[in-house]
Amino acid sequence: MKEEIIVSNLNAYFGSVQALKDINISINEKMVTAIIGPSGCGKSTFIRCINRLHEVVPHARVSGTILLDGKDIYSPDVDPMDIRRKVGMVFQKPNPFPALSIYDNVAAGLQLNGITKRDHLDDIVEKTLKMAALWDEVKDKLNSSGISLSGGQQQRLCIARALAVKPEVILFDEPASALDPISTGKIEELILDLKTNYTIVIVTHNMQQAARISDYTGFFFLGELVEFDETSNIFTNPKDKKTEDYVTGRFG
Amino acid sequence: MNFYKKRKIVNRLMCSLAFLCAFLTLVPLLSIFGYVVSKGITSINLDFFIHLPKPVGESGGGMGNAIVGTLILIGLSCIWAIPVGICGGVYLSEFGNNKLGTIVRFTADVLNGVPSIVIGIFAYTLFVVPMKSFSAISGGFALGIIMIPTIMRTTEEMLILVPRTIREAALALGISQFRTTISIVLKTALPGIMTGILLAIARIAGETAPLLFTALGNRFWQRGLTQPIAALPLQIFAYAISPFDDWHRQAWAGALVLIVMVFLMSFISRFVIARRYKFLRSS
Repeated sequence: MKEEIIVSNLNAYFGSVQALKDINISINEKMVTAIIGPSGCGKSTFIRCINRLHEVVPHARVSGTILLDGKDIYSPDVDPMDIRRKVGMVFQKPNPFPALSIYDNVAAGLQLNGITKRDHLDDIVEKTLKMAALWDEVKDKLNSSGISLSGGQQQRLCIARALAVKPEVILFDEPASALDPISTGKIEELILDLKTNYTIVIVTHNMQQAARISDYTGFFFLGELVEFDETSNIFTNPKDKKTEDYVTGRFG
Repeated sequence: MNFYKKRKIVNRLMCSLAFLCAFLTLVPLLSIFGYVVSKGITSINLDFFIHLPKPVGESGGGMGNAIVGTLILIGLSCIWAIPVGICGGVYLSEFGNNKLGTIVRFTADVLNGVPSIVIGIFAYTLFVVPMKSFSAISGGFALGIIMIPTIMRTTEEMLILVPRTIREAALALGISQFRTTISIVLKTALPGIMTGILLAIARIAGETAPLLFTALGNRFWQRGLTQPIAALPLQIFAYAISPFDDWHRQAWAGALVLIVMVFLMSFISRFVIARRYKFLRSS
């Protein structure tokens, strides 16, 4: 088993507020790693550090190192745009580009990075929409707006959009929290499918969801990583009292 | 039960009041339009669009040069005011969260309130005096200054309406800040920005005061951008204050053409946008 992402001494700040305190964690390749914890504990901030999206917020900063394939993504000679292409992201609320068609939503990451060959794009759009289990529902209306789809479809469109730039890692920030149970089920199935080819980190509020789909789970509390272990251990045999209280529903 | 009745009556009353107010705002527009049509329509014919004004005493003739002149002046002002306005709006919304942004915003709002005749004098000293000639360019410059604050502030407001999550989604795909702003954010806000541009055009199309010092007016066809140029509002003004009945009729016709021109421009561009953004409404 290979460690794909190695986070050491990661601190993240919003202005003078420290959101993450000295995080050390290793994320394995082609596994699903779930990040759980109460609201405001830094889960989203943590994954947004992995694709260098944290720093786009005004006054936000990061210290520490994150190795991706052995290279520090925060080293000064690294272009954040390259990192973001390697580390895709799916957000909490489905956010397709409203002015673009379904086709262009999926192709945007390629087109706006200079890849414009039509048949190549056609191929990738079809392939990624199939991977996102959306092709059959949209193949006849690729030119309609991305926001004409239902919430669950929009979220799968966003997954296809992230897949189209060929990332190695995909970050999910509570991808199903705005969806109904059926759409949630589809997204979870999809994540399990994607695991064969991608390393996945998913933030979730839903502990059953973490238990269902993840191999490893990290419990965050007040900006610190309290415990990180195989998912079965976290849920059945947690070492820390706080983890136990949280997974048994005593707080949070 | 009594209370229910009272509620019903108050509801009716307020509804009719709101309707009345909405209707009242339409009255001036409709009556102006109706009056201009009734006065102007009789003098509108093909000659009016393609001929030069005739000297006093001769009947016939038209405002062909003034119609073309107004279109040229609108074009000249758009050429520089639209890029400056949009880029300024992008700055304000994307990077303007600082002191400079506040100053620019305030200045733009003040500029929006500056009487247009003052802007005409400004363009006069900047262009007409050194060039020693009234010109189309100076007219376009003056009108452009009037357009900029409107375009800039609408662009800013429309861009701010584009949710953060849309920008982040683009950045998370490894798209550069520049392409994100141009191809995603501006594109999303385009219909709104277009409305701002149309408002600005509608406003300058009828401006007369700033043109008095700059474009001056011209009774002949345009010979170049450094020459005085005719414009519909100027021609209407000159004809309306003249003592000749024939010119009065032509002034009414000119006013009608000006209104219809602005109306058509706004109608056509809205139609084009609506077609391009048809899919947006299907949601």
